[in-house]
Amino acid sequence: MKTFKKTALAGLLAALACTASYAEKAMPDMPRGFGNRPLTMIVPYGAGGGSDQLSRAMAKAIEEETGLSFQVVNKPGGGGTAAIPDFMISPPDGFTILEHIDTAVAAYAKGDIRENPAEDWIPICIAQITFSQIYIRPDETRYTDWESLMAYIDAHPDELSIGILGKVGSMELVTMQQISDALGLKVRQVNYDKPAETYGSLIGGHVDILFEQPGDVRSFLDGGQMKPILTFLNERPGVFADVPTHREVGADFEALTRFRGFFVKKGVAADRVEFLEAACAAGFENPGFAEFNEAKYMNLVQSYRDRAGAVELINETVGVYREVYEQLGIGQ
Amino acid sequence: MDLFIQGTLSLFGNTTSIMIFFLGLFGGMLFGAIPGVNMLTLGAVLLPFTITMDPQNAVMLFSVIYCAGVFGGAITAILFNIPGAPENAPTCLDGYPMTLKGEAGKAIGAAVSCSALGGTVSAIIMMTATGIVASFAVRAFGPPEIFALILFGLAVSASIGASTLWKGWLSVLAGLMIATIGSDPVGGIPRFSQGSFLGLEYQSYYMSAGIHFIPMILGFFAVSEVLAQAVNIAKGTRSRPQASIEFPTIAEFLAVRWTIVRSVFVGFFAGILPGIGATLAAFLGYSQAHRWSKNRDNFGKGELEGVVACETANNAATGAAMIPLLALGLPGGALTAMIMGIFQIHGMEPGPLIFINSGDLVWITFAAMFWANLMIIFLGWVQTKTVVHILRVPFRWLAPGILILAVVGAFALRNLFIDVWIMFIAGIVGYMLRTTGYSAAGVVLGLILGKLGESAFAKSMQLMDYNVLGFLQRPISAVLIVVAAVIIISSIVSELRGGHLQRALID
Repeated sequence: MKTFKKTALAGLLAALACTASYAEKAMPDMPRGFGNRPLTMIVPYGAGGGSDQLSRAMAKAIEEETGLSFQVVNKPGGGGTAAIPDFMISPPDGFTILEHIDTAVAAYAKGDIRENPAEDWIPICIAQITFSQIYIRPDETRYTDWESLMAYIDAHPDELSIGILGKVGSMELVTMQQISDALGLKVRQVNYDKPAETYGSLIGGHVDILFEQPGDVRSFLDGGQMKPILTFLNERPGVFADVPTHREVGADFEALTRFRGFFVKKGVAADRVEFLEAACAAGFENPGFAEFNEAKYMNLVQSYRDRAGAVELINETVGVYREVYEQLGIGQ
Repeated sequence: MDLFIQGTLSLFGNTTSIMIFFLGLFGGMLFGAIPGVNMLTLGAVLLPFTITMDPQNAVMLFSVIYCAGVFGGAITAILFNIPGAPENAPTCLDGYPMTLKGEAGKAIGAAVSCSALGGTVSAIIMMTATGIVASFAVRAFGPPEIFALILFGLAVSASIGASTLWKGWLSVLAGLMIATIGSDPVGGIPRFSQGSFLGLEYQSYYMSAGIHFIPMILGFFAVSEVLAQAVNIAKGTRSRPQASIEFPTIAEFLAVRWTIVRSVFVGFFAGILPGIGATLAAFLGYSQAHRWSKNRDNFGKGELEGVVACETANNAATGAAMIPLLALGLPGGALTAMIMGIFQIHGMEPGPLIFINSGDLVWITFAAMFWANLMIIFLGWVQTKTVVHILRVPFRWLAPGILILAVVGAFALRNLFIDVWIMFIAGIVGYMLRTTGYSAAGVVLGLILGKLGESAFAKSMQLMDYNVLGFLQRPISAVLIVVAAVIIISSIVSELRGGHLQRALID
């Protein structure tokens, strides 16, 4: 638990540092020989998913802001790992950009991939950061909020099941492990692998509780089919002001976040990296992109990190994963 | 009915809408027909443009692309043994042999009519029963029921395409084993990814993604067919298929009426379940038809009923897939997810309230799908009269074209070159399978059902606290499992009693 506190402090400092450094940079001049042909943006997930939508929105925003043009290429498979080889064999000229999410960080911490996203890749920005929540059905009568759910679980251990979209070692399962350790939760975990099926399992009554990020289930929240009862964040975000945080219910750990960002390979010329960083910052501020992120509930916490902030976030996340993996005895 | 007429009127009320309707229809069919690109490609390209469109036109466009795209892939499946999209894969099994017998026109005609029929009937069911059906399906079908359904599908798949039941089972088991390559669905534990037996630098990265069934299908059907034809030419035994433009007769349709009814039912049902969709619908439709058909022994040799079964089922799944999307906000596949995106872009949330909040848009969707399915008949008829003439092209020109299309198709799936290698290996293996009486279709079925089935089984175990008997305590899964067991046992018994001998005598 001690290390968690340390991480929490480091996280807080990092967040402060990032907010301070978060200011729109003036767009540098286009480096010589760059941008004369379209850039390739590799998306390691399929068309239509969260990463794909983000990449296309960001590509459009950067095109509007800088005049660069993009070709978005989906290379799905292996939970985001199958795309990495093609990125690694591309020349380090800045013409190939990889979108990736915190899953790559977990994969590195676990030893599934060799590349450290903070060292072997250069993050040009993080453009989405969000938190997780726990949801129940609004018409549930056995419990109606976190407090009554805990009371119900105490009286009926191992009766309830929680649906989670994620595999062993994922951000989702690590967070569940942390909250279970902190509060002694006795629920059965069911690991799903397809979003629609996961959400259907709560709505259809096959599981009793759901773990997700608010942007992914926004339509169900707006439609009154799901109700949040716990937020994994240090402070209550505005929209969810009446939902308690994990800290308030007595779980003392720095919760992991879901983040999505853009990377180039190590070895890309400094002026190109700098240009792309500025392009990403400008894209983030683009009104169309801002609207997109708002619709995905990505405006509830500060969702932007520049290069230094991204490296910090990644390193800190690797530390948390390594510690939990060690406790659980998974990974290398 | 009033609502449907209103929807239709706003659909064809102005020239822009009519143009968009036909754009979707031709676009979907074209992208569906070219292997490698599919309706998803078209959808992803068009999605950004829908932001500035009228919501009704945008939703209509995608509904039409969906219906037309599911049909489009049937044509290349029938003519060249290359399924344009995964949901047309089983169409190859009998469609292509029909082409070889000089009945290409008949096969395409059947595919056209049955796609239209399956799609139209499912659109009608969708219009009448969306709310009720959606809440039933999502409540009644949890992971254990889905696992039982897949087991049921596996039970009938051993009899497809192999010379004996034993070879059929071996083929299916091989497919099941291939399905275990890659990360396991729950633990994410990599399987067969260690070492470097392929000598690739990033082998574990590729292997963790597993073997996708699309390059396998392209290899088994398209590449191995080119090899087989080349061997026939070398031996001097190949005869060029006749390019007939004859449509199936009414009597031929009447003869397979029960297959059509069954496939509509199977397809519709598979379409409703989130994550199952049109591909499994087509395979299940085919294996059901094979199970109940009087002409069982002709399946895989150019039986009209086989084409009818899968093309009815995959289009029946389109209307059904809209039900959980509209009523619960649960998209079953990528294209339905895009349709959901369009609703959201225009400020509407699919879900229980959509019929109240945006009822007009829902009825435009219904009307668009209904008319798109009817239009398929007309377009398909024109295509039947024209496209089959490609068969007049000499094989030495056609073969490289087929291989290029297959390579493009395998690569475009995930933009990974490894898939192209898998396709060529599968092509060679497929050639050996077909010359030894094993079933390529069985392997593919094992692969598809194995992945879905393992995932459903693992979730069921977690849900039921690792109590295997739990499958028999839930009525729907118990019935499906018992029926599956009966089918497996009875087929083994009949094979042991000399079914093999009978078949050998007939052959």
